[in-house]
Amino acid sequence: MTTQDARLFDLGYRRYDGPRDHPWRAIVTLAGFTARRVLGLGRGARHKVLPAITLAIAFLPALTSVLFSVLTEDILVDDLISYGEYTFIIGSALALFAALVAPEALCPDRRSGMLGLYLAGPLDRTRYLVAKGVAVFGVMLLITVGPLLFMLIAFVLAGFGPSGVETAELLLQILAVGITTALLYTALSMAVSSFTTRRAAAAIGVVLVIFVPASIVRAAIESAGAPNELDLLSSPLVVAELAYRIFGETQEGNDPVTQLSTWLVAGGVGAAILAGALVCWLRYRRLEAFR
Amino acid sequence: MASPAVPEPSSPAVISARGVVKRYGRTVALAGLDAIIGPGITGLLGSNGAGKTTFISLALGLRSRDAGELSVLGRDPETAGIDVRARIGYAPEHHDLPAELAATDFVRHLAEMHLLPRRAAVQRANDALWLVGLGEERFRPVGSMSTGQRQRVKLASAIVHDPELVLLDEPTDGLDPMQRTEMLALIRRIGTEFGMHIVVSSHHLEEVERICDAVVIVEGGEVVHAGTLAELRQGPEGLVIEVDERAGELASVLTAHGFDVTVDGNRLVLGAADDAYDAVRDAVADLGVGLRRLLPRGRTLEDVYLGAGG
Repeated sequence: MTTQDARLFDLGYRRYDGPRDHPWRAIVTLAGFTARRVLGLGRGARHKVLPAITLAIAFLPALTSVLFSVLTEDILVDDLISYGEYTFIIGSALALFAALVAPEALCPDRRSGMLGLYLAGPLDRTRYLVAKGVAVFGVMLLITVGPLLFMLIAFVLAGFGPSGVETAELLLQILAVGITTALLYTALSMAVSSFTTRRAAAAIGVVLVIFVPASIVRAAIESAGAPNELDLLSSPLVVAELAYRIFGETQEGNDPVTQLSTWLVAGGVGAAILAGALVCWLRYRRLEAFR
Repeated sequence: MASPAVPEPSSPAVISARGVVKRYGRTVALAGLDAIIGPGITGLLGSNGAGKTTFISLALGLRSRDAGELSVLGRDPETAGIDVRARIGYAPEHHDLPAELAATDFVRHLAEMHLLPRRAAVQRANDALWLVGLGEERFRPVGSMSTGQRQRVKLASAIVHDPELVLLDEPTDGLDPMQRTEMLALIRRIGTEFGMHIVVSSHHLEEVERICDAVVIVEGGEVVHAGTLAELRQGPEGLVIEVDERAGELASVLTAHGFDVTVDGNRLVLGAADDAYDAVRDAVADLGVGLRRLLPRGRTLEDVYLGAGG
C-alpha cells in the first residue's frame, strides 16, 4: 500500500450533510424505543420480570388447552377453552399488563423531564401521544392477539382447527377481538397514566379504573334495579362480551351485558376507547412539559 | 428603567423578538420583550426568574405567547414548531436523564428523534460524545455519571444532529470551577469551529463575558441591555490607573503634562490622549510609586449589568 492509498475514516465530530428522515419518522422511533423499554428489552433483568410473568399468565390457558388437546386424543371440543371466552378468562392478566405498560410508557418521561426534550425536537404533543399510543397498543397486542393466534396455529397444525376459508375467517375474528381489546386497554390505561408521574400510583389507578366501576355497576343493577345499560360502564366485561359475539359464541350465565344488543355493546366499547383517548389528549394538551 | 435600544444586526437575526408578552395567570413572565439575537454565541443573562427559560420555551414553540412577534431561524416557532425545532439543539437546565440508559444510547436516541437515519445517529452519537470528552465513558449508564458528565451528555445530545441553533439552559449549573472552565471552552469551540449559533442562558456574568460574542440581559421579563460585548463594554476613552500610594502627587505630575486627571483614593482616571501610556510609565518611574493596575477606561459586563439593575 502506498501513502496515496491511505484514507482517514474517523474524522471525529463534523457537520452533517447527509439525509434526514421525514418528521413522521420521529413517531416510529419513539414508539419502538418505548415498546422496547416497556418490555425491558435492552434493560436489566429486573425490568423483564413483570412483563414476562404477565405474558406467561396470558399464554398459560392457551398453552394448557393446546397441550391437552394434543396429548389427550379423545378430548371433546367443548372441553377446550373457546376463542370467545379467552378474553374473559385472561381479564386479570390484561388489566395487570395494562397497569404495567402504560405507566411505564408515559410516567417516566414526565418525571425525568424527557417529555420536554422530546417536545423540543420534531414532535408536538399530539405526535408524542400517537407514538406512545402506538407503543402501548403494540405491546398490548402481544397479549390480546398472541395467545389466540398461538391457539389457532397450534390447533390447525394438530388437526383440531378449522381449515380453508374458516381459518381465514377465524383469523379475522381474532384480529378484530385482539385489536379492539388492545385499543380499549390502551386508551383506559393511558388516560389514567396521564394524571400522575408515579408509575406505581398509575398502575394502581389503572387496576381500579378497570375493576371498580364493574363491581359498583353490577351491584347497582342487581341490588338497586338499575337498567342493564349501566353495565356498559364495566369495560372489561363489555369487551369480553363483544369478543363472545365476534366469535359467534354465547356467554354462559345471565349477566346484564348479555341482554344488550350487539350494536350497544360495540358502541359501549367504542365510547370507552374514545373517552380514554380524549382524556389523555386533554391532559397532555394542558400539561407543563417544560421546566 | 429605560428601555434599551435593540441593535439592528449586521447579518440576519437568528432569533428576533418584538414586544413578546407571556403571562402565567397573573404573573407576567415576559413583559414586551424586544431582542434581536444574531449569529455567533449569545449570552442570555439574567437573575433567576428573569424570564430566560420562558423565552427559550417560546423560541422552541413549546409555549404560546400572549402577544408580540417572534421569529426563530426565520420562522414563527408557534406555527412552524416542528420544522423549526428540527433545526435546533436544546439542552435543558435539569439533570434528570433516563438513569439506566448508556450515554451513547441516550444521545443516539435523541439523534434519531431529530430525524437522523439510524446508522448516522450511531456514528454521530459516538462522535459527539468524543467531542465533549466522554468518549471513554460513553457506554456508562447516565445515572452513574457525575453532574459534570451529565452536562456533557446533554451538550452532546444537543449538537448530535448538527443543528443550526443550539439553546443551552444553564449549561454550567452544578459544575466545579475546573469543569466550568472546560465546559465553557467546549461551548466556545462548538460555536466557533462548527459554526453553530449558540444561545447560552446563564446568571453568571463572568461565564457570558468569557465565551459570548453578544449579550441579551433580561430582567423582570424585559430586555434591559442588548448588544455585542464590545458595544456593551464601550465607555469613555482614557486610562484607569491604580497605585499603592501618593496618587495625588502622580495626578499633579500628569496634570502638569497637560492631562485631564480625576483622583479617587488610589485610583486615577486619565482622559484620552495619544501618549498617555508613556506619560504614566515615566511619571510612575520618576516618583517611584507602585503601579497596581493600568487598563483602558471602559465598562465591564458587571458594570452594565449592575447599571441595569441586576
